[in-house]
Amino acid sequence: MKRLVTAVIVILVLIALAVTGCTNKGLVGPSPGEEEEVVSTCVTCHTDKDTLKETATTEEVAKSEATTGEG
Amino acid sequence: MEVWEKVFVKDAEFMESTHGKVGCVICHGGDSQQEDKELAHAGVIRDPSDGDCNTCHQDIAQAHDLSLHATLSGFKSALEARGGDVSEGTPLATAIENHCQECHTTCGQCHVSRPDELEGGLVSGHEFRLTPSTKYNCVACHGSRVGAEYLGENEGIPGDVHWTQEMMLCTDCHSAELHGSGGTDATRYDNPDVVRCEDCHEDVWTDTSGNPQHEQHLGDLSCQVCHSISYKNCYGCHVSIDPEGLPCRTSEPSVMQFEIGYNPLRSTERPFKYVVLRHVPTCTGTCDYYGFDLLTDFNAVSTWKYATPHNIQLNTPQNESCDACHTDIELFLTEEDIRPDEKVANEDVIVDELPEPVGK
Repeated sequence: MKRLVTAVIVILVLIALAVTGCTNKGLVGPSPGEEEEVVSTCVTCHTDKDTLKETATTEEVAKSEATTGEG
Repeated sequence: MEVWEKVFVKDAEFMESTHGKVGCVICHGGDSQQEDKELAHAGVIRDPSDGDCNTCHQDIAQAHDLSLHATLSGFKSALEARGGDVSEGTPLATAIENHCQECHTTCGQCHVSRPDELEGGLVSGHEFRLTPSTKYNCVACHGSRVGAEYLGENEGIPGDVHWTQEMMLCTDCHSAELHGSGGTDATRYDNPDVVRCEDCHEDVWTDTSGNPQHEQHLGDLSCQVCHSISYKNCYGCHVSIDPEGLPCRTSEPSVMQFEIGYNPLRSTERPFKYVVLRHVPTCTGTCDYYGFDLLTDFNAVSTWKYATPHNIQLNTPQNESCDACHTDIELFLTEEDIRPDEKVANEDVIVDELPEPVGK
């Protein structure tokens, strides 16, 4: 009887795995839903003109003032 | 361009495009899960196209890696031709790194943003443009000579007829060769795909009837000899490091001149005896800051170089009549036009025998 119960449990577990999928989400990267969320973190700011106006800063590139003439 | 505009993805639909679907961090890095700006941008790669494009666009990216736009080998080959040693660790290699590398172009600086040299900035949202913008990409770098000539920005000199009459953009003529030939070219003229007038004007070569000037001169003169006008010539470029430790260069004011000389690149592809020549900024002392006499064979190459000015006109002063050209010594590069310390370098391109007057 014990063997029968054990066999039934094993079969049920296997069926459950087959139905839900055996993948480990942590190993294969974000699901589409998670990816959308991740992407929107960048896009939220970079598509918002007002936010960018408030937060964007100039990256100074030092150029010589001694340069003259055309390049 | 305002600083915020440079990074403004104005069309959110970009995220649905092929490149957009890849996701920001795959190309640009950073940490998209951070709310804080500084933390989110830690390790961000502003221009990831210097390598990443190879994943999908392998053929083009590999060709581009060898192209003049990427390698700037035109600078190196010009210095080497004058006896310069540009190998790693040499003074000239340092000079190239300090003064030439800023013109290096990545895929993105033509197809996505303005060039770094112009302080970057997205051209059209984050759109990947198959065709670079004439204004924001091509002319942004090639502005002082080619751009100004083509668009008619030199005072008193009209723009190129391809622009003024047809509004043709750079990429209407220049396309595949911009990604290089797939080999290592010393100059743009080495590329077999370089633009030729006859690519469009084939009939000029196949049917000269009714055009005595074409009948007489086709093959002897480059097209620009008859159809170009005054263009910009540069002199006396010197590179150095300023007191602040920043690379700098000085040059003399450029001069608008038109000079016909002997062809320094005469070949099967360019059989012309006469071409127009442009003076390059290089002089004997260009690199003297980095060491004395680094160009040990300066006279091996002329300082008046084969040129294809972008200010083409149907009618020009020199093609008004036969003698408009044949009797005008000012059109030709003669010994009087050459600076004393450049006479030997240019002896092969100086016109020593002017054409005979025709009488019409």
